[in-house]
Amino acid sequence: MKNKLFEKYFVFSPYFWLVLFFFIPLAIIFKISISVSEWGMPPYQDIFLFDNGFKINTTFENYVYIFSDYYYIGSFVNSLILALISTFFCLLIGFPLAFYIATSNIRLRNILLVLVIIPFWSSFLLRVYAWKIILQNNGILNVILLNLGITSEPLQLLYNQYAVIMGIVYTYLPLMILPLYGYLNKFDLNLIEASKDLGLNRIKTFFKVILPLSVPGIVAGSLLVFIPVVGEFIIPEMLGGSDRLYYGKILWEEFFVNRNWPGASALAFSGIIILVLPIVIFQILYSRWSQKNEI
Amino acid sequence: MDNNFLVIENISKSFGDNKVLENINLNISKSEFFGLLGSSGSGKTTLLRILGGFEKPDTGRVILDGMDITNLEPFDRPLNYMFQSYALFPHLNVFNNLAFGIKENFTQKEIEINVRNIAELLSIEHLLNRRIKQLSGGEQQRVALGRCLIKKPKLLLLDEPLAALDKKLRSKTQLELTTLQKKLKITFVFVTHDQEEAMSLSDRMAIMKNGLILECSSPEEIYENPKSLYTANFIGIANIIEIYKKDENFYSDDLGVNFKLNKELKNTKTNILLRPEKIKIQSINNLKTSSFNSFSGEILEKSYLGSFTRYEIKIKNMIISVLDQNFNSNSNYNFPKGEKVICSWESESIKVLED
Repeated sequence: MKNKLFEKYFVFSPYFWLVLFFFIPLAIIFKISISVSEWGMPPYQDIFLFDNGFKINTTFENYVYIFSDYYYIGSFVNSLILALISTFFCLLIGFPLAFYIATSNIRLRNILLVLVIIPFWSSFLLRVYAWKIILQNNGILNVILLNLGITSEPLQLLYNQYAVIMGIVYTYLPLMILPLYGYLNKFDLNLIEASKDLGLNRIKTFFKVILPLSVPGIVAGSLLVFIPVVGEFIIPEMLGGSDRLYYGKILWEEFFVNRNWPGASALAFSGIIILVLPIVIFQILYSRWSQKNEI
Repeated sequence: MDNNFLVIENISKSFGDNKVLENINLNISKSEFFGLLGSSGSGKTTLLRILGGFEKPDTGRVILDGMDITNLEPFDRPLNYMFQSYALFPHLNVFNNLAFGIKENFTQKEIEINVRNIAELLSIEHLLNRRIKQLSGGEQQRVALGRCLIKKPKLLLLDEPLAALDKKLRSKTQLELTTLQKKLKITFVFVTHDQEEAMSLSDRMAIMKNGLILECSSPEEIYENPKSLYTANFIGIANIIEIYKKDENFYSDDLGVNFKLNKELKNTKTNILLRPEKIKIQSINNLKTSSFNSFSGEILEKSYLGSFTRYEIKIKNMIISVLDQNFNSNSNYNFPKGEKVICSWESESIKVLED
């Protein structure tokens, strides 16, 4: 009887987690996003007023405000594009690495896996800062290029969107490699040999056998990179220039500089809905597809 | 017959310090069903993988139908390989698994026709729309076979083709495989660790041990006249007896019996093989033991096998296995445990082992 009860709670524990750390905070953000802003602490009015009888004090002006200004929508689009490009490069670099790790012998495999994980042991901020030192005008890379005579004056490597993409790909690569590895690890190498035996060369074998059978791993890794990159704040802030505004930065400014909590909440809430809804729909369609194809 | 259809010449292969194959030479004829038999670690699978192009030999050449294929990639070789695990593509249905190797060079219509034909040949027409996971082991084996045969290979390599099937299905499939091979006249080379499978499938077979080929001949020849002690023991049941020259004849200390051989021997001391079914077993009442090629012993164990009864007969320091055919349903033909019996054999049945 006790075990049954335990099982029941155990099964539902992810849902408790989801409610506690996702739905409740989301509800709080939503509540702030529909409240009227004011100067004070907190910088918004309560949505339920009881002074002169009960009164609901809500507004959708914050949403109207952010959706009517391209400043906000544009930054979100910028972030989506950044996330797409970064995910693509993570996949491009991560897939061969994950495949190589998954197919190498057990000793080499463990060493390589540790090498993938090691960066996590140092501070994320420090690692991004290290890139700043490498890429700045009198940084290591420019010194080398100057001394080799490849350029006559330092290149502007920092503070542009390429530096941001590079920093993000560098930081998020393990998040692509690990789920991909976990999946490719189970890959039956005989399938590759069978494909070659049946007359397909390496490239065709990749597209006809390896790639279609890796879809679940690719989906898992890509989502793990794509979602957090959309809200990424620190890397564009440290490595990016003023040429492009990103969603995370706008959120930060709206909250902490403009102290417009309702506006920022509306922005955050819209972002989550725009991001999560397609992903949920995609996941449902995808799980149906993979069930049908038994991958 | 052209016995140079597949020539394996001086093939050696090492993995690190581990010598897996040493100087392998084999000639295989066109349309031959050839077996590579050995226990695990004998190098048989490595040899098959070298033929398939999945491993490169350190030395030597492989020549198929006059063409040196040693350095060709698997996708350039005019042969196919059937994996022990079948390696069917889980993301494709049976039709697309069968069509996998011909999609490149054929039109949609030709693909349809070829797949239908091969499915008909293997009686799997009703499975074409199934997923691989929905197939039984036997059905998977047919799809794997069909996927190779549709390419009309000059040579088909089979890695333990029946190992994944249960026993009943195995003997049925064995028969189908030989029938199919004779019908298509494609050269088959297969690997197995199961001596019965090797005997029943092969036209000729090679016995492998520690990266060497010990013997290569027809199953009958290998069973009846094995050259080595290892082969004699590996194939079937074997009574191995050490004999040495004594006066005119040979003598075994273990049995205390004189052996009369029908040929001269170089060595004064040698091992001989006496297959259990070559020994005649008789009641002691009827006969006296002869002075050679015969002994009397006591039945220690007995197992009734239906068409045969297997006796373990103790004499002096040895236990000799005897297979006695059950000619008659009369139980008198069966000797009880503990009974004294006379065993005898012909001189021709004594096979001298070289090492």
